[in-house]
Amino acid sequence: MKWAGLLLAVMMVVGLLSGCGGSSKETLNIYSWADNFDMDVIKDFEKQYNVKVKYDVFANNEDLLAKIKAGGNGYDLIQPSDYMVEMMIKQDLLAPLDMNNIPNFENIADVYKNPTFDPGNKYSIVYMSGVTGIAYNKKYVKDEIDSWEDLWNPAYKGKVILLDDNREVIGMALKKAGHSNSSKDEGEITAAVNDLKTLLPSVLAFDTDNIKQKMIQEEGWIATVWSGDASFIAKDNPDIGFVIPKEGSTIFADNYAIPKNANHKELAEKFINFMLEPEVSAKNYESIGYSDPNTKSAPFHSAEYNADKMINLTDEEMSRTEWLSDIGSQVSLYDRFWTELKSGRE
Amino acid sequence: MKSKNHPLLGIHSLLMMIFIYIPIIIIIVYSFNSSRLAADWSGFTFDWYLSLFENSYVMEALTNTLIVAVVSTVVSTLLGTMSALAMRKTTKKIKAGMGGLLYLPIIIPDIIMGLSLLMLFSQFHIPLGRLTIIIAHITFSISYVHVVVSTRLTGMKDGLEEAAQDLGAGAWQTFRFVTMPQILPGIISGAIIAFTMSLDDFMVSFFVSGPNSTTLPIYIYGQVKRGISPEINALCTILIIVSVTLILLAQFILNKGKGQKKQSVLPF
Amino acid sequence: MRKSNLSLLPVFLWLFLFLLLPMLMVVGISFMDRDELGNVVYHFNLDSYATFFDPLYLGIYWDTIVLSVLTTAICLLLSYPLAYYIANASPRMQTWGLVMITIPFWINFLIRTYAWVLLLRTQGVVNSLLINWGLIQEPLQMLYTKGAVLLGMVYTFVPFMVLPIYVALEQMDKKLLEAASDLGATPWRSFWHITLPQTKSGIMTGAVLVYVSTTGMFVVTDILGGAKSAMISNIIQSQFLGARNWPFGSALSVIFVITSLIMIALFNRAMTSRHLKVKEGR
Repeated sequence: MKWAGLLLAVMMVVGLLSGCGGSSKETLNIYSWADNFDMDVIKDFEKQYNVKVKYDVFANNEDLLAKIKAGGNGYDLIQPSDYMVEMMIKQDLLAPLDMNNIPNFENIADVYKNPTFDPGNKYSIVYMSGVTGIAYNKKYVKDEIDSWEDLWNPAYKGKVILLDDNREVIGMALKKAGHSNSSKDEGEITAAVNDLKTLLPSVLAFDTDNIKQKMIQEEGWIATVWSGDASFIAKDNPDIGFVIPKEGSTIFADNYAIPKNANHKELAEKFINFMLEPEVSAKNYESIGYSDPNTKSAPFHSAEYNADKMINLTDEEMSRTEWLSDIGSQVSLYDRFWTELKSGRE
Repeated sequence: MKSKNHPLLGIHSLLMMIFIYIPIIIIIVYSFNSSRLAADWSGFTFDWYLSLFENSYVMEALTNTLIVAVVSTVVSTLLGTMSALAMRKTTKKIKAGMGGLLYLPIIIPDIIMGLSLLMLFSQFHIPLGRLTIIIAHITFSISYVHVVVSTRLTGMKDGLEEAAQDLGAGAWQTFRFVTMPQILPGIISGAIIAFTMSLDDFMVSFFVSGPNSTTLPIYIYGQVKRGISPEINALCTILIIVSVTLILLAQFILNKGKGQKKQSVLPF
Repeated sequence: MRKSNLSLLPVFLWLFLFLLLPMLMVVGISFMDRDELGNVVYHFNLDSYATFFDPLYLGIYWDTIVLSVLTTAICLLLSYPLAYYIANASPRMQTWGLVMITIPFWINFLIRTYAWVLLLRTQGVVNSLLINWGLIQEPLQMLYTKGAVLLGMVYTFVPFMVLPIYVALEQMDKKLLEAASDLGATPWRSFWHITLPQTKSGIMTGAVLVYVSTTGMFVVTDILGGAKSAMISNIIQSQFLGARNWPFGSALSVIFVITSLIMIALFNRAMTSRHLKVKEGR
């Protein structure tokens, strides 16, 4: 029976090891994805403004919404994605931004200003953006890839990976058929889903988070991938190509926004403004590796970053993109179809 | 007294140990991998260990996790054992009702538990933080302790306690020297499960946590989008080594004290 | 009797406050409606319950039950001999065995599950070894299959089975076994007629813990199964998150909890009645 004592001892020691400290400085409570900033940049901000930054994390937009809606509070700055900004505005969960505190907003590229999900940037500013495209491994995929149709090629059976997200996947099938990625038309949606059902036997996995590892390791040959992730993959596996299909695609962004009940709204705005300084911006995006929406930061970026075609998409490619918009009550239809697709049942 | 174990049983147990430890070995090996995404083996490095100690967010999350796990395990072990003992002697009706109630926390989907507790806390303006996480963890841990201790009690002979009381032992003495030693393996096993559940809980903790009370699982799930950093592998490796060392140490110390007492029945 | 009811009070109060009260809200929501934004609207109806009887959702629940029963059975088969070995070892080895089995499960669940990905993927450790040894030519597709999901579930929940069975075995009266063997019973017969019935409560507890935990698990299907199958918990989760249908999610949870309780009760009864028969037979 000795192990009783052992175990208790372990638990006790482990408990004692943990101490805690407090500080009286003004605190900015950020609620975002983990590792979403370059940590040095945050330290610079703390020093420059003599404040403390606390950083808590969520794993996806829906978790964030459910938590804020059910009464989770105390956060000063959150980073919802595009469609979630729209949703949160509709639910009256966000505070309007005071642009007087964010003069650097003018540094943002025009493509990212005045987005459909938040006309006039009343509540949000784009932080990190990308476009969904097709990543493929040239070792196995010899044909030229330029269309969503190529995913259906029987040669890639069992080697196709799709994003694990109903709006992305159904939106892709809608685009393929020439519709809006946020169609509310039941006929269009049904046709798109039926089309996807013919793709199912080819699908190796649905995955959003670990699609990078799967492509690097060549588990999949061809996949729907976000542009920033494609750049990641290509760095570890030089055989990877990336294309924005000719039918057009979905553009997405994570944004800065401030919850309605934030305690340190002005500090949050100062933080946004700080992050939009060209030099800070360059340092930050260099580290996190996604597209920098800042027009003045290019001179501060490395040559490698500026040459990366997956991070710096052309105007022509950008012109073929569309934001996802809220689909209102059709969300039930999307969800049902998605359940059918994933479970293989009807 | 001891019945011998069949060699086949030994082989099976060895294989099971290998099965349980294979992923752990992989985790340790990959904590030395220089690739950020742990996709390929791209060279040996100690960097993750170094950057781990500079990462104050991970350290804070670890602290929160351990505090929550220790406190919730202690409290739920007390409450769960109490209820298991009390259930033996109560009426059939209460037994059925409480039995069902005590299964609920195990059955209820995590998201329901997390969301409904969050609604409760925000209704009563209880600030979210470590305390609310501890409350939530106690709530589901009670059940695990209760169920396992009850298992032990089912197999216990009633006669012993009566005999002790007939011999003049008081209620406390009977408990302390007769009941307690008998059910201790159940209590410990229940506590182990409670501790493990608390260390690993993501969904419930996510909803009832507030600013500055991020736990390790919340942090790790948050990292999934960008790829879990090998720093976490390094952290896991350190945790394993620390746990094993502490247990070895405790075992060694306890063994030294052996001899005077044939068996130390109680750890305290 | 009164005293024991009194000592049940703290636990009851705790569970009432932090479990029943919030659950009542959930039950309430399950009878409500929702608007386009997913806000709960106070309009009593039974639609959410009716939706469950759609073959789509019934089918998914059935898949979940099949997988959970399978996981439970495999866990039992693997764990019983292990628990038996530990319970019969010297006290020192018992300490070791239990602690060594538990420690890996203090490592975060996601990390452990990803380790299986590293092992099983096409360029993973297992495939590389098999190819090196010349056993196979082409890598096997082990991940993103039902088998991988089952493996992940068993791995995750094995300790839930080992611990309760150990707790029951350790307490067994071993004199009975000696007596049986003195009377000429084969080891197998003594195991079947003495050991097994005496450890029923351990099996019962282990089985319930594993079954219930498996039905509630969905991350394993996502990571090791390639998110190609849905469990009932995936559906419940998505109703509260992406699908913005809290009433349906609540109704699913209520149904899920009730059916689980019924299954536990049935299982409990089956085990006890068998126990009685054994006693009468003696």
